[in-house]
Amino acid sequence: MMLARVADSLYWIGRYVERAEHMCRLSDVMLNATLDRSEAANLVARIAIAAVGDPEMAKAKTPYEAALSLALDRSDDLSIYSSIAHARENARQVRDQITTETWERLNLIYLRMNDPDATRSFGDGSQQFLHDTIADLHLFKGAGDATMSHGEGWSFLLLGVYLERAQLIGSLLGVVFGESRRRKPVTDHFALTSVLRMGCALEPYLRVYTAEMQPRFILQFLTLDEDFPRSIRFCTHQIETHLAAIIRHSGMAGSVGPDRLAGRLRARLQYADMDELEAQGASPFLKTVLDECSAIHRSLYDAFVAYPLEERLPA
Amino acid sequence: MQGSDDRVRKHYAALDARLATLSPDELAERQKTQERFFLLQGITFTVYGAESSTERIIPTDILPRIIPATEWARIEAGLIQRLRALNMFLADIYSEQQILMDGVVPRELVLQAPSYRREMQNLYVPHKAYANVCGSDLIRQPNGEFAVLEDNLRVPSGVSYMLANREASKRVFPGTFRGAGVLSIDRYPDLLLTTLKSMAADWRPNPQVAVLTPGVYNSAYYEHAYLARLMGVPLVEGRDLVVHENMVYMRTTTGLRRIDVIYRRVDDDFIDPLTFRRDSSLGAAGLFNAYRAGNVVICNAPGTGVADDKAVYAYVPEIIRYYLNEDAILPNIETYLCREPAQLSHVLANLDKFVVKAVGASGGYGMLVGPHSTKAQQDEFAAALKADPANYIAQPTIQLSTAPCLINSAVEPRHVDLRPFILSGDKITVTPGALTRVALKKGSLVVNSSQGGGSKDTWVLSESKGKSR
Repeated sequence: MMLARVADSLYWIGRYVERAEHMCRLSDVMLNATLDRSEAANLVARIAIAAVGDPEMAKAKTPYEAALSLALDRSDDLSIYSSIAHARENARQVRDQITTETWERLNLIYLRMNDPDATRSFGDGSQQFLHDTIADLHLFKGAGDATMSHGEGWSFLLLGVYLERAQLIGSLLGVVFGESRRRKPVTDHFALTSVLRMGCALEPYLRVYTAEMQPRFILQFLTLDEDFPRSIRFCTHQIETHLAAIIRHSGMAGSVGPDRLAGRLRARLQYADMDELEAQGASPFLKTVLDECSAIHRSLYDAFVAYPLEERLPA
Repeated sequence: MQGSDDRVRKHYAALDARLATLSPDELAERQKTQERFFLLQGITFTVYGAESSTERIIPTDILPRIIPATEWARIEAGLIQRLRALNMFLADIYSEQQILMDGVVPRELVLQAPSYRREMQNLYVPHKAYANVCGSDLIRQPNGEFAVLEDNLRVPSGVSYMLANREASKRVFPGTFRGAGVLSIDRYPDLLLTTLKSMAADWRPNPQVAVLTPGVYNSAYYEHAYLARLMGVPLVEGRDLVVHENMVYMRTTTGLRRIDVIYRRVDDDFIDPLTFRRDSSLGAAGLFNAYRAGNVVICNAPGTGVADDKAVYAYVPEIIRYYLNEDAILPNIETYLCREPAQLSHVLANLDKFVVKAVGASGGYGMLVGPHSTKAQQDEFAAALKADPANYIAQPTIQLSTAPCLINSAVEPRHVDLRPFILSGDKITVTPGALTRVALKKGSLVVNSSQGGGSKDTWVLSESKGKSR
């Protein structure tokens, strides 16, 4: 049994921490790449900024300014600070539902980002700052995994994580592999490596495909790999699993809703064919994935959070 | 820590000896560790500034206040007696009003009090337990005896600080703690849940309890979440509640789930816009009718404020005598009711010596502290007193007792009061511990957290000293 509002908050904690982590990684890769001045470095910065999709950030003059604004701009709702603050605000609202160990991790990250000295420590070592934040977000997820009951609440939290992740990776791939008249296909070795870093996928990729940087392999790995936790296919499998768990807890099996959408999306990824995907172009495929993720989100709300009361009143 | 003869009082000896072995730096380090612990746990209140809001911890002092077993026994007996009588008083004034018929308490004093709730008249309250959670403020008088400064029967807060301070002081002084034989307060959440469940036990075998909070922006939100978590019950807000055919439900992921007992941390005025304040969105429409229909229990009952009214306070010793035929174990502070002409003229003649309080106000508003006031302020109050004497009471300026506190790495005395927590359901229990509030500014008598007050742990020692329980 779980309050609808609590489920909502846990779901958004998942989404916000995943978003914060992804944004940290994008800025980290961008800052690292732009240490040397090259055409490839500029390309990486453009990819990162486009993947973030934040008009505020795009206005910045240098990659450092862009990263600073993405990290700590409090007035920007898409900044890492805002994501962490929202996650923590949601956690505070369900403080009775998450363990102290899990709460402490998240609160620690928030306190550091909220510190009056945060801008200075970001200036002193921006990559260290981002690296620490990512590491602490991993600790948060680990603490939750190790101490929270893996029941309904946990499933809502992970549902948030994986839906967000599928959408973030989908947008990143759309920027890199999407067909557009203005953009040339990305073929530069350094830029492709950076794309893998943005998806935290470099090392796992090397194990499968070795150091051969092929756009086709990268797209295949981040979209269709069965085991890599940041591939869209992996995410859709998790989304389906956690939805099934929630439905099992709620005893609402059989009712058509988010589970049907999630099953269809998972099957779409599971049985996708790389040749077909390339033939029809990555853009329409990725767009379908993103649209279906949004549909699952809406359907989830209709089924569990914002359902109409009159349907549920006791007879 | 020291008695009047300047020797260290017996029950402080172990702590005093331990402190002697710690350097100022070590003490400061421990203070810092404790503050860090509170910050990390999120035991904070929010200060809203012009540009941004910051979260602050309520200052805590690492040195425990220690109360020996014999002193505690008297406090405990006195608090139980007092709450029994006040619950009987509430049951009486919300039904037969015998005490008013007998002229023990003036009728208009009760019926005209702003906290009196006509809606509660003839409403069945299980076990006649109106104030399920009570936090009374006590002070230690110069003669060493504890007296009641104020009762708190509405939505008393601070119990989470009692528990968090205990966690912290166990970390800071583990050895001294173990040796002292401190009574455990860990069972408070468990006892609270038992008390709340007992309120619906007549008609539901395993009642569903929920804590109702105004929400995350309330300054006591941490406490609401803390208690819900430790009791293992849902923490609900008004928007989670639905009242349908006089039953209260909460919106869960699987539909509506019935609630039997609501431990509400929302003031009377806000719990039901249909019965009380129309503009409130913190409660649930129809909640009070569900209560009236006997389908849910609201704890504390609405309308308990009439028993901790500042003017009714003066009558509590009489109330205890009337219902229990006993003398009050814990005395009141001498109180003058300005509604009585003889007492009014005495107060007016000695305005520079009295603390004058408006009956309906709280939190230090509408108050004159005689010895610290100017002639102009006194004249102003004299006029107000003459215009509406029934609205005021006066008390002699009281000197709070002091306890040792760590101030800038040195041990110094600061003024303190004591708020123990009493639970009443099918029976009354007092948790052997309390929130000790401290006025951290030198010489200050104000212990309120909004005005530079802090808190510290309170150790109640067991009879058999030296054994830990």
